[in-house]
Amino acid sequence: MRRREMGVLAFTGLAGAATAQTAGGFRDSGLVGRLEGPNIITDPARRPTQFKEAPMLAEQVRAGRLPPVEQRLPQDVMVVEPLRSVGKYGGTWRRGFIGPSDGENGNRIMSADKPLFFDPSGTELRPQLAKGFEVSADGKRTTLHLRRGLKWSDGTPHTADDWMFWFNDLYTNRDLVPAPAPELSSNGKPGRMVKVDEATIAFEFDEPYYLFPMLLAGDTLVGGGQTRLQSNGQTYALYAPAHYLSRYLPKNTPVETLTAQARAAGFNNWVQHFKFLSDWQLNKDVPTLCAWRMVQPINTQLWVLERNPYFYAVDTEGQQLPYIDRVQMTLAENPEVVNLRAVAGEYDYQERFMDLGKLPVFIENQQRSHYKVHLDPGFNGADSVLFPTLTYTEDAEIGDLLRKVEFRRALALGIDRDQLNEAFWLGLGTPGSTIPDESLPESPGGEWRQKWSTHDPAQANRLLDAIGLTRKDREGFRLRRDNGQRLRIEIAVGQTLSATWPQQAEMISQHWRDIGIATDVKVMERSLWYTRAYGDKHQIALWTNNGTESLYLYPRYVLPVDPIGGVISNVYAAWFASNGERGSEPPDPEMRRAFALMRAATGQQKAERDATAKEVWKIAVDQQWGIGLVGLSPAFMGVRVVNERLENVPGRTGISQHCRTPWGGHPEQWYFKT
Amino acid sequence: MSATAEARFAEATQLQLTWWRFRRHKLAVASLFVIALFYLIAIFADFLAATDPHATDARRSFIPPQGIHFFDDSGFNPHVYGLRGVRDPRTFQLTYAPDPARKLPVRLFVRGFTYDLFGLIETDIHLFGVVGGRPGESAFLLGTDQLGRDLFSRLMVATRISLVIGLAGVTLSLFLGVLLGGISGLYGGWVDTLIQRLIELLRSVPTIPLWMGLAAALPRTWSVLQVYFAITLIISLIGWTELARVVRGRFLALREEDFVIAAELSGASQGRIIFRHMLPSFASHIIAATSLALPAMIISETSLSFLGLGLRPPAISWGILLQDAQNIQVLANAPWLLMPAIPVTLIILAFNFFGDGLRDAADPYG
Repeated sequence: MRRREMGVLAFTGLAGAATAQTAGGFRDSGLVGRLEGPNIITDPARRPTQFKEAPMLAEQVRAGRLPPVEQRLPQDVMVVEPLRSVGKYGGTWRRGFIGPSDGENGNRIMSADKPLFFDPSGTELRPQLAKGFEVSADGKRTTLHLRRGLKWSDGTPHTADDWMFWFNDLYTNRDLVPAPAPELSSNGKPGRMVKVDEATIAFEFDEPYYLFPMLLAGDTLVGGGQTRLQSNGQTYALYAPAHYLSRYLPKNTPVETLTAQARAAGFNNWVQHFKFLSDWQLNKDVPTLCAWRMVQPINTQLWVLERNPYFYAVDTEGQQLPYIDRVQMTLAENPEVVNLRAVAGEYDYQERFMDLGKLPVFIENQQRSHYKVHLDPGFNGADSVLFPTLTYTEDAEIGDLLRKVEFRRALALGIDRDQLNEAFWLGLGTPGSTIPDESLPESPGGEWRQKWSTHDPAQANRLLDAIGLTRKDREGFRLRRDNGQRLRIEIAVGQTLSATWPQQAEMISQHWRDIGIATDVKVMERSLWYTRAYGDKHQIALWTNNGTESLYLYPRYVLPVDPIGGVISNVYAAWFASNGERGSEPPDPEMRRAFALMRAATGQQKAERDATAKEVWKIAVDQQWGIGLVGLSPAFMGVRVVNERLENVPGRTGISQHCRTPWGGHPEQWYFKT
Repeated sequence: MSATAEARFAEATQLQLTWWRFRRHKLAVASLFVIALFYLIAIFADFLAATDPHATDARRSFIPPQGIHFFDDSGFNPHVYGLRGVRDPRTFQLTYAPDPARKLPVRLFVRGFTYDLFGLIETDIHLFGVVGGRPGESAFLLGTDQLGRDLFSRLMVATRISLVIGLAGVTLSLFLGVLLGGISGLYGGWVDTLIQRLIELLRSVPTIPLWMGLAAALPRTWSVLQVYFAITLIISLIGWTELARVVRGRFLALREEDFVIAAELSGASQGRIIFRHMLPSFASHIIAATSLALPAMIISETSLSFLGLGLRPPAISWGILLQDAQNIQVLANAPWLLMPAIPVTLIILAFNFFGDGLRDAADPYG
């Protein structure tokens, strides 16, 4: 019955796009499967009555260190119908990560603590921490029904009080949360969180906010979940373990004591100490709600997670999930090494850092290394995007140029995308602008994929001449207008996600020679790249726009509206997110128009919202705030190397920020065949 | 030894003696030719490059080395065949098949990309190239890399940069070494102690971590050229210590020699003693030490760049070329990109043999 429902859904959103998409080249390989996933059973009649647990936990129960499984599971247990077969317990999921700056690698696996989630197609909401929700007719009130009897990984009950603790004690503390979450405002007016009963939370807004439930499921500051949003120095998400963290707040303990504790632990002040304590990547004592909990932190050679004995989900036979005992991530020096180890068969499921260009090598070694290669083409417009920083100030001349739309358009027209496609996407990606797949309801349509995104050096040269960059040196490079020196533009590339980003930038710098632009490619480590990105210190940043296939869930790579986005402009993003309190207002009327559209969309119903999204995309492409290169391909986490013995792995997963790849494939129900 | 030969031997200048002695070391003589060849390549790198070493073209990525056919039906007519790339729909592997219908004649002194010969004369004549090909077509003697750049042309340019860095580094080391070693040996006392302890301190630090630290300290905002010079500096920072030791030792030994004392007693100034009497008598040693230091410099640059700490693209050096080869695609499907390891090995060996021969020859009476 659930399957039929999914069939109906298949005509909208990503699933619909999957059938309409013309990813022909990839499809012919037979490596692109069907978008699928396990069902979440909501019918109480089908809920198992007997529960079973993993042998390693049964042992602890016998030893008296753990209460029996019935007492650990919530009354409103989540029932997952495994994709193909009911599994067996045991095994270690081996993966690769590239160091302390690669926290997202683990965050994504720890995604069971989001309030809501998506179905495999990435469009329809599914229950997760909350078993359900409702939105009032006027759109001003969203009620969230949490699972009753939910427990933290240390056995303490998780209730509405944990949510109110976050809202009252953490969110309002400006030391911990310097900028409010824009998602908690409707049309610029802050909303409130209210406790209805022990397991019910309501969100009240002054203006209609029909978009809100989607944001609770997306990778947003309200939907990201505790692990994602209370790590790397952040204190967002909507709840926090009150029983563990409250005593570290000045409200409950004198600041002197807290400072002394922080000093003793090697931190300067209580805020730093608090952020360490709440960070699951570093502190194994912080309780979680996810399928696994951390037992060995990220700053070691092995980042290890172990099953959470209090995880809230079971399979249809009442076996507590997950099936897999441990997740073990091995440190690799760089993405290249991750690829190498994947080819050697050292990973059980790895999609992160897998380089599309190495597909022939992956395929060639399938039998020898006992894995299977899957391709999951994405729906985002560009796997690689150049983001000019609009508020770059270190060099006045270059900042001024980056703010000129003619300059950005000229750079966009100066790139030969077919060349990039051939060299790094095996000729099978789609060259063009940043817009999502044409089959998605938010796409402004095919002609916008070409807009300013073809290779037209002649027009690019005219545009550059028109803004006064007419003088050239004897090698044909244009000169700066202020001091007559050669104009040099930098592309900042983070050494992460894609192994070939540095080479892509190098190729672009070759193309730009033809329009007289000298380019320096700066390759840097991920955390340095981020630090500089947050300071608006990159001239042009190379990144992906994965996630923008759903504009409202992840707008940061379309518009500077998200203070943790890092690209385009952090100053504008701070201004947007704080409703004008901080940052500065963009002087560009087009940007202001796009901002107004984004604000208006929160109160719109789906159809109207989609129309607004189209409008935003048109402005973004016309202004070239992001210069799209090549996309609609499996380049970004869409090349999967999966152990032959791993079962219940979907034929295709939605490669999307809000699907939290690989969590969208539901790893809690994967198991190893014996 | 016959009488005339003995007479010649007695009358010969130091330089002649050195040369005679050096000639007897066959390997060193051969090495001299190899080194000369490499430096010729360095001088004429752009002339030898068949295509622009920076020009990328994805439609010719990972072309295997291409052989030149010298004869066809009409007799002597060197040519290569045009290539057609086809991607296998199942394995995604791009394979190139020669197109027998498209014969591209290979000729000498053809026109190609523009460059400045010796940095002065603008020209576009290259040693060889294909005539009448479509844009992007050429003879790829050593194949192409992922971005479709001609490895042979890149290798030529890389040779120049790597050898120049070695030479510049050694010059700097020589300057520092002779200066500090000279001061140390000549004055002795606390200056000597200070310099010697400094040398020991520098030499006790493992070089790779030291380089890594210094290279990491280079501002990321520096241009390629600035990095280039900084790397040279970093490399020579270690290199001078060895030379300084040698120079100091020679100074210490010569200070007590009769001819130096004689010069001193005749009232020669200190400068005259150093430059007229002492320096010539151990110049040959310095030259030998220098030629032995050169390969270390070249290896240093190559390994630093290989580790991603030295030069950065778009600069082209041996280390950069090898760094490009540092991925699994290359190992599995494009092994020809490991080629740049061969010239590195060759020049290092050549310099070592050459230095060896020189050291023996430098002391012709020994």
